[in-house]
Amino acid sequence: MRRILLAAAVTAAVLAAAAGSASAASIIDEWASVKAPAAPALKPVTVNTKDTALLMLDFLHSNCNPERGKRCIASLPIVKKLLDRARAKDMLVVYSAYGKNTEKNIWADVAPNGTEPFVVSFLDKFIGTDLDKILKAKGIKTVIVVGSAANGAAFGTASSAAQRGFTVIVPVDGISSDNLYAEQSAVWNMVNAPVISSKITLTKVDMVKF
Amino acid sequence: MRRSRILWSAIAVAAATAVALTAPARAADIIAEWASVKAPSPPAVKSVTVDPKTTALLMLDFLPSYYCSNDPRCIATLPAMKKLLAEARAHGATVVYSIAGKFTAADIAKDVAPKSGEPVVKSHADKFIHTDLEKILKDKGIQTVIVNGTAANGAVLYTGSGAALRGMKVIIPVDGLSSKNLYAEQLTVWQLAHGPGFGKRITITRSDMIKF
Repeated sequence: MRRILLAAAVTAAVLAAAAGSASAASIIDEWASVKAPAAPALKPVTVNTKDTALLMLDFLHSNCNPERGKRCIASLPIVKKLLDRARAKDMLVVYSAYGKNTEKNIWADVAPNGTEPFVVSFLDKFIGTDLDKILKAKGIKTVIVVGSAANGAAFGTASSAAQRGFTVIVPVDGISSDNLYAEQSAVWNMVNAPVISSKITLTKVDMVKF
Repeated sequence: MRRSRILWSAIAVAAATAVALTAPARAADIIAEWASVKAPSPPAVKSVTVDPKTTALLMLDFLPSYYCSNDPRCIATLPAMKKLLAEARAHGATVVYSIAGKFTAADIAKDVAPKSGEPVVKSHADKFIHTDLEKILKDKGIQTVIVNGTAANGAVLYTGSGAALRGMKVIIPVDGLSSKNLYAEQLTVWQLAHGPGFGKRITITRSDMIKF
């Protein structure tokens, strides 16, 4: 009798422990065991210059500098090439900043030419701005997104554009975060998140043909 | 003004030189560097107390026939979510649901199904886009949202970010979000905890660490 009781108690304890650990388990407990999936493929793209806009996001002195933004600084010559090619084809180029920054706080090498639209917002540049209206008024169907941070303005705006019906092209060498995990996870999610990933293509600047 | 331009030019030259010297570091983009990336430490999970009058519980896409189907990780969140839901309702907090695709409110998992009168919005990923979620929350004076659901790296990540960018405080219970892919769950929690622009608006917690 005592043995049976003891066995029952042990079984109950084991069950409770199992239930306890199952409900306690979350991604925080499993954190160390997480492995990064394989890198996504980069694809060549050809865009129609008439209905494509280049979005130049937050290339600002305050976030793109040698102290915080080394990878952004390094991306500037690459982005400048893309910008020059887009302008040569008369493509729409739209700029952004955040907080109290103005167009004057954008790096001179890649600065707006005075007639190109400029919006100010955090992360998702469609929120609290007329970016959607600017793009739709010009008949834009595709946006090429470059900028910093990769997991901030680039990620937020590319994802939002995808959900708003735009085709989205993201050159990985035009977006940057100094934290590599931030950059990697942003890049991966853009082409793996449910539904919106179907609208986003990852590429490199020299794989974009006009 | 002129002085600051000169200063920035000097920094630019210095930065360009530094970049030129370390050029291979960038020539390799994130795809080339993929295998060398290490995950950062997990964010701290913190207790949090909310005011039920200004707090809404967002229950996103708990759809057994959609992302919560054949997904043991989503199914495993349901008991904790059922408890949290009961507690939120008992304290009079607002509850808002979402669905996606071709689904209706009747498709939401029974354990956490909406009661009549609780709003249901329909959209993909960021539930503020193409819905009146922002208006629903503002009309009720909501300042804090507790975001749960699936997929973690879809509905939870984008709606959580969307709420923070709209000025709300955002509470993310790690036992209320799920993806079939662990990396997707991890990046969701990390990006919400550390994403630029969110400041301190987002708190990572667990459902039993929320006090109403």
